[in-house]
Amino acid sequence: MNLKFHNKKITGILTVLPENEVNFDDEIDNYNFSKGQTMKLKLIMGYNKRRVIKKGTTVSDLCIFGMNYLFEKNLLKKDDIDALILVTTSPDHFMPPTSHIIQGKLDLKQDIVCMDINQGCSGYVIGLNQAFFLLEQDEINKVVLLNADIMSTKVSKNDRNNRPQIGDGAAITIIEKDSADNTIYGCVKTDGKGADVLIIPAGGFKLPSTPETAELKEDSAGNVRSLDHLIMKGDDVFNFVQREVPKMINDLLDKANCSKEEIDYFMFHQPNKFMLKKLADKIGVPYEKMPNNVVENFGNANSVTIPTVITYNLGKKLLKDSFLICMAGYGVGLSWASMLLSLEKLTFCEIINYK
Amino acid sequence: MENFESSITEILEVDSVELNDELDSFDAWDSLAVLSIIALCDSEYKVELSRDEIENSETVNGLKELIKSKM
Repeated sequence: MNLKFHNKKITGILTVLPENEVNFDDEIDNYNFSKGQTMKLKLIMGYNKRRVIKKGTTVSDLCIFGMNYLFEKNLLKKDDIDALILVTTSPDHFMPPTSHIIQGKLDLKQDIVCMDINQGCSGYVIGLNQAFFLLEQDEINKVVLLNADIMSTKVSKNDRNNRPQIGDGAAITIIEKDSADNTIYGCVKTDGKGADVLIIPAGGFKLPSTPETAELKEDSAGNVRSLDHLIMKGDDVFNFVQREVPKMINDLLDKANCSKEEIDYFMFHQPNKFMLKKLADKIGVPYEKMPNNVVENFGNANSVTIPTVITYNLGKKLLKDSFLICMAGYGVGLSWASMLLSLEKLTFCEIINYK
Repeated sequence: MENFESSITEILEVDSVELNDELDSFDAWDSLAVLSIIALCDSEYKVELSRDEIENSETVNGLKELIKSKM
């Protein structure tokens, strides 16, 4: 599905990462790895450090912390927020929506549109799409998009496929109407036939968590996990990404009549270094234009990785410069989505630590 | 397919392979090796393989034949 938006812009991006850092080297004993395998994983996948919450921290805690930072620094005014979107796969509760909990705790106005969206890896682009839809309304002038996930709590400590790459975090993006005449191009794709490729089987209404769903079992590849844990079929994900994403990007650029060379950065979802390099190869862009350093420094926090790759690699540069950016997210759903837009002179673009 | 054996020796971290070597007899045979083979086939031979297909091919030759059958 091709999408097109006019006269909208991103005006600020803040990433909130838990202060608590875990090192891959310290966790090696949890996995059945040889020393050689460990070295290879570090080198190829980029596993190194990752940020994870301390027990008890929730998605709303991370978001509220970041929002208060913006209020205190005078970078955002409470009364200006006309809509609040939270994209997460780890809500505080099944009900009420976590966006409403955040609205209440921050004492935001009642004249506001609030919604949760259940999306993971493609959730940044999907959240931006939703923000742009809302900004079509006369009375909605400023939208706050929250992306937050704490999946470290749902991954088995003996799951060597997933655990070393999962991180936690949140991001806050401000989206507003723009008087300048611009066009943003987007694309969203869905394949629910791949719903079981990335799944937490138990804990929902279909299969509530019980002592049985918590039983640990070893799979053929040596990963030990239960039905309560995140399960990912890594080879299926890899094949899906390499098959679909380059095609989507080529179509997006065609529609926008834009060449790869014109794009300053390809800010893509960050599952691991390996997958990003293979994507860059296949799309035909140099590695420098597609940063892949989020997993090695912070871990993969689902829809938070795209704002993190932007704040970490561009940061202050985005306060005075403009860059043409192509974004893409891909994963759980299956869902894949992309966007071509210009990021211009943001009011803020930084990373803060959650304490 | 002329580079196939040299690519496989690199992935399996050995000096040489025989066509009838069993894939899971190598020390370096693990999920990362499987992923490396998936990536190799995708970029070099434009062939998409699943983990199950690779594991079921059993030997170096079985893998080679599997790739050929999809080219």
